[in-house]
Amino acid sequence: MFDVFFVQQLVNGLSIGLIYALMAIGFTLIFGVLNVVNFAHGEVYMIGAFAGLLAITQLAPPLFAVILVALAFGALAGFGLERIAFRPFRRFRDEASLKSKAIREATLLSSLAVSIIVRELAEKIFGSNMQSIPQEYLLLKPIEIGPLSFANGQFLIFGLSIVMLGGLQWLLKHTRVGLSIRAVANNPMGAAYVGINTERTIIATFVIGSTLGAIAGLIVGLYQGAIFPAMGFAPGVKAFVAMVMGGLSSIGGAVVCALILGMAEAITTSFFAQGWGDLVAYLFLVITLVFFPTGLFGGGRERV
Amino acid sequence: MSTSNLIEIKDLHVRMGEQTILNGVSLHVPSGGIVTVLGSNGVGKTTLMRAVSGVYRSTSGSIRFDGTEITNWPSHRIVAAGLAQAPEGRQIFSSMTIAENLRIGGVGLTPQEVAEEEEKQLQRFSILRDRYRQKAGTLSGGEQQMLCIARALMCRPKLLLMDEPSLGLAPKIVRQIFDLISLIRSEGHSVLLVEQNARAALRVADYAYVMDGGRIAIEGSSADLANDARVRAAYLGGHAA
Repeated sequence: MFDVFFVQQLVNGLSIGLIYALMAIGFTLIFGVLNVVNFAHGEVYMIGAFAGLLAITQLAPPLFAVILVALAFGALAGFGLERIAFRPFRRFRDEASLKSKAIREATLLSSLAVSIIVRELAEKIFGSNMQSIPQEYLLLKPIEIGPLSFANGQFLIFGLSIVMLGGLQWLLKHTRVGLSIRAVANNPMGAAYVGINTERTIIATFVIGSTLGAIAGLIVGLYQGAIFPAMGFAPGVKAFVAMVMGGLSSIGGAVVCALILGMAEAITTSFFAQGWGDLVAYLFLVITLVFFPTGLFGGGRERV
Repeated sequence: MSTSNLIEIKDLHVRMGEQTILNGVSLHVPSGGIVTVLGSNGVGKTTLMRAVSGVYRSTSGSIRFDGTEITNWPSHRIVAAGLAQAPEGRQIFSSMTIAENLRIGGVGLTPQEVAEEEEKQLQRFSILRDRYRQKAGTLSGGEQQMLCIARALMCRPKLLLMDEPSLGLAPKIVRQIFDLISLIRSEGHSVLLVEQNARAALRVADYAYVMDGGRIAIEGSSADLANDARVRAAYLGGHAA
């Protein structure tokens, strides 16, 4: 005999964990290549959701097209973000600036600034409340399997995440762009010597990471029925925790930790009140930092 | 000199902050030649190589490569123009496989050309074929140097810059590397070699420069320099008189 409610919570946790994973990958890719944290990643997630919502209310296209719109806006947001918040602080040609702490701190603040400005602008334009989403686009249609009941959004999350995670692995292993991203992350000096266009590789990293983030934002928005300007903050923090737990620059580590985080949250909320779920993430972060300072998967400094 | 110079560096200066590291270096490599730059630690040899590859910016002077002014081009354009480097410290991609390191070296080629060139390098360095799917970080120092050279040759360069390829390697491997340099020339690549192992470098090179204090102190054919009293003194670690 198994507890139906518990299994269902595990599945819920898994789907949320996958969303954290998609976001954590964006953090991890950018950290791997530039050694900096992108604090505007949560806003990219929000932009994905809003771009999709606008497409829905203006054109009412099929869901597939809505996802493509979020993808396009995510890519655009990543490109713009790199231009505005990161490139001005980077002179990539010598070792000194590559390792410079000042540059790391400058981009940390500039990305935070962009994050605040974008969120405030969105609140100015759309108001800070949750947007109303047309009923037919909500991903909450129940699907019964035996005694278990799932939402169709969960299947979409599973399917899309697996496609995107698999696609990303393929991209990183078998395409020129992917190999360049890994090369720059592994050894930026070596990348310059073999003739990799570092600037273009950095832009590609932002575009890919932001695309994943934007799609995650859209799906979660439709699945939870909650699209609002500050929606990127909480999952951004969770994904950040997953990245730190995973060892900062290990994609596999970040994905595993994101899944652990999502499930732990779901299990917590099934035993305690809703608000306790968030506490789990912070608890994990503190435990990781105190007992595993290099992350659970970061021991060998394996990158991307 | 004649117009058959593959690369011509004129009065190159590199300053880093307050420090002037290159103070007017001029040298050239003829097509099909092996030229070596000698000198003790800290005289600016590696800085020169980095400036030529576009990893450092020069503050003044000019670099002409294959008839084109390439001064301060970004490094990826310089590599695309046919100037590759096997850099100091090898700078291989340790967390990527041998196969991936080689493919990255051919980043500007078509997949067909990459496959051809890779086959050529694997034939030359059979150890790389044996460990094709392993991470480059697991290779020994000599093997990493082979990978570094193979990776640089992947882009079919006209000129190969080599910065201290023998550094820290066992004498047997060092001999292999110097044999390889002659072989590379016979395949139609020109070579600019920076070395501390002056004896071996002079044996393989046609022409040599000795650097001191950020400029060229002595130059001449390898045979002449091998008999030069000042160079002989410098071999033993002293300064040129």
